[in-house]
Amino acid sequence: MSRWRYFFKRLLLSVPVLFLVMTVIFVVLRMGPLDPVAAMLGPGGLSGANAEAIRENLGLNQPLWQQYIDFITDLITFNLGQSWVLHPNRTVFELLRAFGPRTLWLGFWSILLPLFIGIPLGFYAGMNPNSWGDYIASFGGIIWLAMPNFWLGIMLLTVLRRTDGGDGPLGFDWYQFGPNTDSLIGAPSLDFVDVSSWADLGVVSLPTGLSFEWMTLAVAIKVILPAAIVLGSASMASELRIGRTAVLETINSNYVETAKAKGLSSRVIVWKHVFRNALIPLLPIITNEAFLLIGGSVIVEQVFNINGIGKLFFQSAVQGDLPLAGALIYIFTLIIIFLNIVQDLLYTVLDPRVGYDQ
Amino acid sequence: MPDKDSLSRRTFLKATGGTAGAVAIAGCGDSGNGNGNGNGDGDTPTPTPEDEPVYTTEAPKAQEAWETVENNPGPEAEDIRTEAFIEIEEAVRDDMVLLPLYHELTEWFWYDWVDMPKFGSLGIHRLQHNTTSVDTSSDQKSENVLVMINGTMSTIDPIRSDDTASGRVIQQMYENLVNYINGNPEIENQLAESIEVSDDGLTYTFNLKQGVTYHEGGELTAADVKYSIRRLAESSNSVRANFVLDSGFLGVEHETDDEGNVVPDSLAVEAVDDYTLEMTLTTPQPAALDILAYDAFGVMPEGTVGDIEGYDGEVTAEEINNSYANGTGPFQFEEWSVGEQAEVTAFGDYHGDGPALDGVRWSIIEDDNAHQTAYVERNLDLFTIPTSFYNPDNVDAEEDDQGRDVGTYGPLENGDTVNYLGVPTLSVFYVAFNVPQVPKKVRQSVAYVTHHQELIDQVFKGRGAPAFSFTPPGMWPTGPDGYNQWVDNWPYSRNETDRESATQALNEAGFTADDPFEMTLTTYDSEVFQEFGRLTRDKLDGTGISLELETAPFNTLISRGEEGDLEFYSLGWIWSWVDPAYGLFGFEPENTDTSIMPTETDGYYLDWHVGLEDYESGDGS
Repeated sequence: MSRWRYFFKRLLLSVPVLFLVMTVIFVVLRMGPLDPVAAMLGPGGLSGANAEAIRENLGLNQPLWQQYIDFITDLITFNLGQSWVLHPNRTVFELLRAFGPRTLWLGFWSILLPLFIGIPLGFYAGMNPNSWGDYIASFGGIIWLAMPNFWLGIMLLTVLRRTDGGDGPLGFDWYQFGPNTDSLIGAPSLDFVDVSSWADLGVVSLPTGLSFEWMTLAVAIKVILPAAIVLGSASMASELRIGRTAVLETINSNYVETAKAKGLSSRVIVWKHVFRNALIPLLPIITNEAFLLIGGSVIVEQVFNINGIGKLFFQSAVQGDLPLAGALIYIFTLIIIFLNIVQDLLYTVLDPRVGYDQ
Repeated sequence: MPDKDSLSRRTFLKATGGTAGAVAIAGCGDSGNGNGNGNGDGDTPTPTPEDEPVYTTEAPKAQEAWETVENNPGPEAEDIRTEAFIEIEEAVRDDMVLLPLYHELTEWFWYDWVDMPKFGSLGIHRLQHNTTSVDTSSDQKSENVLVMINGTMSTIDPIRSDDTASGRVIQQMYENLVNYINGNPEIENQLAESIEVSDDGLTYTFNLKQGVTYHEGGELTAADVKYSIRRLAESSNSVRANFVLDSGFLGVEHETDDEGNVVPDSLAVEAVDDYTLEMTLTTPQPAALDILAYDAFGVMPEGTVGDIEGYDGEVTAEEINNSYANGTGPFQFEEWSVGEQAEVTAFGDYHGDGPALDGVRWSIIEDDNAHQTAYVERNLDLFTIPTSFYNPDNVDAEEDDQGRDVGTYGPLENGDTVNYLGVPTLSVFYVAFNVPQVPKKVRQSVAYVTHHQELIDQVFKGRGAPAFSFTPPGMWPTGPDGYNQWVDNWPYSRNETDRESATQALNEAGFTADDPFEMTLTTYDSEVFQEFGRLTRDKLDGTGISLELETAPFNTLISRGEEGDLEFYSLGWIWSWVDPAYGLFGFEPENTDTSIMPTETDGYYLDWHVGLEDYESGDGS
């Protein structure tokens, strides 16, 4: 089987997975113990006529198979409906537009920061095994990994807010450090990109002129930084650990010995042989981070009061806003399936052995 | 056992008449079966011989008292109602169908640069900030905007508002005919200049203030008020149509169609001229003005939204919910970014005093750590303190003549000392029983071991008032003295863990440590009730009750309650207006029948009506 046939096979496999997930969502929503109508009306509001009207609106009076078909059709055609309890009368799309960018911004930095700290540190430790630098990096990684997000978040908030006025434990004022910020919490303003002109290409319009507000960007980065460090902490540590092991394994492998014997310069050996091969075990770690971010962002968004998708999902689940929760699970599933495909694609590109022995 | 007030079955039937009796009997047949939890104790009622009054339930007394309240609505009958309210409380206490735990104390803190009126027991969401000011000469405050904390808001449309987070914002933009100014429990005119009530107590004539302008221009007229009330009653978006239509609330005269829906424009609310409005009720309602003070009665110009018959609407129902407001209040809508913040700005043409501020902004913050960070950073001017960060020793306050604690709190983490106001609100949080499933002695034993003050100290660091009645002390029908007397007469070892009395009562009913009564307490996700559950489980261990704990999401709890599927559960009640009847209605035993809930009954999930039929609750057979 060729690499690309293998890839397309993986692509096709995601279709039944998606159907399975949609069915599970349906079963949980329609047959679970929570009554969406009761959640909607709250205590006292449950007068008979009202409840009936809402059941009718939601299509809860139809036969189950009909509801199932409607439900699946709606999801596939992205007709995601609206929130009923949490933000009544707002469509899921409207909510995604409002909440989504904050989570994306947080997620972007919580993947990027560990990538640029964890992997270089790991590679450094792997290239210099059993040195003091290695010990410090490895030991630090273990401790970092052991600190749970919610705790780390609270600690960071407490330490940083005590720097107000410059006489805190760190000796500097976080609020005045770099661009000035008012608060450690809340979502940053993300309007640093302004589209000044659009080009029409048939049905889609593409932005052609962009203007940047550099100051707003700097503030947006600074505001998200504490939350991103907390959210990315676990993956930063695991990247460090796995990067170190991978580099060590590669360095001691036969082909590196061979390359050395051939007289290749150590620069070529490190960049062309060691790094590329060491990246293979790191790939699933990095893509897995994206999965973790979806779950982990719930806590971090809560502690830092960033009103993103994680918090929205948590609240919708807790408060019984089942239509919204269902739509969000569907979106999460799509994202995860998409990331899996990206992972397979990257494997196919990076590792020529993929697909050969199948 | 306090049983001297018990009524015999004969007296009861005579008092209530045939229909009521029939309803009770029919309802009981349904709920006695099927909904039980399997321990079977209460499912087979046996008749009580008349010569054993010690086991007689107090339900007939409660039923009769409630009917007395309903049959004596006029202002002249206030004493009769007062007596009946107390009788309902006595019946609840003596039968121990519901154990009140605490009345909430709301505490607010504000920095020195804020100057605002102190609010009363109906809460800060009733406080219009037209006279509040902030001192911008203070080096911590650069803009003349009051910044506060809020929870997740659901709407800015008055007829859809049923949460306080939305109410706080709506209160600044929309006004009612009458209102509780500054949250004080006394009705005052807001858009009404004067009010006349006809002799039969049915027709209300409101003379409106003249020269009241809307944010978008135009003057307030009686037609607008009529439109706003019609919208509340008729719109499919309304969540409080029952406030206008149902008896027990306003009960405005109207016609209904075959399906029981209100006929459009049939409400007996008429605009006599531009400044006179007439409203006719079906039965006298002593609390009519209190009900009209509710957020949902906020007035907007006629025809703003086309969600009732006869209007096309200038804005859509979605806009009035999310992004448009046009009232007569001191502040006009500026922005609501969902889940993030809401802002209103000063309205220059306001008909009353002020506003002194340029605007009011609410940051929507729900996490305790984020919340603490925000006020320590001085980014909130007026705020609450989460219990985990609260230290009772930091309060330095004295009680004022309204029973509020006024003083200072400090130091905060940033070294500041802030102003403090503690207000007992009109609320009660409680645990209650499904009467047929839990014998009376068991219910009473739980009351014996409950130490109210200990619970409040352990869970709230003392921030709350022990509750010994359903009706909060602030609205006790016979005033503070009457309330104190009531507390003194509490029969179940007040503020004490009395395992001895509990064991004795249980042994009388045949439950022992070796053969205990098994029951489950279902609480929603609340630290207080879970702590109550743990404490009570441990205290009851070895007395003859074996208590299991479980939690259920709020919605599940409600739907299970309505199915009669809760033996022992936790909930709360918050008064939106000052009327004991608006809390005690839920105890009318016939109204607690879960077999026809929620369509025909809307009381607490007690199934107390089973007691109306000589049900013997105490023998534990």
